[in-house]
Amino acid sequence: MTDAVQNGAGIDVAVYKSLAQGLDCAVAIVRVDDWGIEFENGRFFRWFEPSPDEPDTLGVRMRDFKPERATSRLTGGRTLTFETKVSVDDQETPLRVSVAPFYGHEDEFALVQVHSIAKEMEIQYMLDSYSRMAEKNAHELEKEKERVERLLLNIMPKAVVDEMKEYGTATPQRFESVSILMLDFVGFTDMTISQDPSAIISELNDIFSAFDRIADMFDCERVKTIGDAYIAVSGLPEQTPEHAHNIARLALRFRRYLERRNQAHPQEWIARIGINTGPVIGSLVGVQKYVYDLFGPGINFASRMETASEPMHITLNEDTMSLLKDDFVFTDIGEREIKGFGTQHLYALDGELAGRRF
Amino acid sequence: MAETLFKRYGGFAKVSRIVSDFYGRVLDDDGLRPFFKGVDMSRQIDHQTKFVAYLMGGPASFTDEHIERVHAHLDIDQGSFDTLVVIFRETLEDHNMDETDIGAVIGELTSRKRLVVKKAGV
Repeated sequence: MTDAVQNGAGIDVAVYKSLAQGLDCAVAIVRVDDWGIEFENGRFFRWFEPSPDEPDTLGVRMRDFKPERATSRLTGGRTLTFETKVSVDDQETPLRVSVAPFYGHEDEFALVQVHSIAKEMEIQYMLDSYSRMAEKNAHELEKEKERVERLLLNIMPKAVVDEMKEYGTATPQRFESVSILMLDFVGFTDMTISQDPSAIISELNDIFSAFDRIADMFDCERVKTIGDAYIAVSGLPEQTPEHAHNIARLALRFRRYLERRNQAHPQEWIARIGINTGPVIGSLVGVQKYVYDLFGPGINFASRMETASEPMHITLNEDTMSLLKDDFVFTDIGEREIKGFGTQHLYALDGELAGRRF
Repeated sequence: MAETLFKRYGGFAKVSRIVSDFYGRVLDDDGLRPFFKGVDMSRQIDHQTKFVAYLMGGPASFTDEHIERVHAHLDIDQGSFDTLVVIFRETLEDHNMDETDIGAVIGELTSRKRLVVKKAGV
């Protein structure tokens, strides 16, 4: 060590050396011109053993030391810090190295200090694993929320789901003009008794699934099914001037689907269909087991039309017919007494004008 | 979407080490130390980890109003801010961040300078 390292305090350099040896971090003094090692303590020697065939410089001793960066940093009077690893007794230890100007001798020397950061790395590992766990949980929660929302969207309109989320409840809403379709199978109860019920239910499921796809194509929405009854609407929750036309086309498509299916399957499915146009109230019903349902005379009358229908016919009254009369063809059924609605003039919907006939 | 710097450099654990190292250096600086007198450094580092994560596109968010409010009483001058940026840059370099990425993060930081440095003449 040069004389410069001894200072005027009157303490022999040997004292400094033994002090450095006693430290539990590694220290060294290096020359800033060639990064040669001028002094090192025992721990430094143990962590960074010299190689006999190469010049004894910091770059040779430490694989992660970058001389150019160190030179530019120290020339500016700043400290360079970096991390490295050493393997002692088959145990890899992570280390943090700082190379700082050696106070009072900045032009000649730099002070190198090396600390073990094994504890820090343990904590980092733990933090990593915890934050990954938290992220995973958050992700799963997000997925679950989406799943719940999809389920809700199956049973109620999006506007109602949003209102529920915002206020925890949804207020009943009146829709002035919507069209409703009610469909019911003739002799369904007998079918389930006389035949394999699970096979019948499975066929019913196929049919209703097909109905759902058709409804989607015609801007209609299934409200619900009750047993073998299928209820669809158009004009709700989004209003459309085409609601009556949509539901008429839907009814014709349902009938054609069943006719085709019956030709290809041993089991016949015969339906009655009623359609009607009128105002309805849409509302959530129930607290724990809530369903979105529709109410009002518009609904009841659609149900009456279904009951009054001949098998495989589509029945409607004069009011609804008048909305459709320019685009569809009908058979006049004549006047009938409808329970709760007095005498009504009924029609059967046969097909659509202008090209395709269903 | 491109991967954020936050993800690429190893998430919260890595950022917290960078920030922890950074505050070690800040407290070593005679000019900056007084700003942190009486500050609970564990909380500060936790908080700043989130902030740096945010600068790197991570999952935390800070509004300009918030940043402005918490620095209002500190009377931070231009010189101190610059020193802090130098130390921050050195810390990022020493943690082996790419030069371009350092530029991006420093850019994010300095773009918020007006929120923390006291206005001249006020």
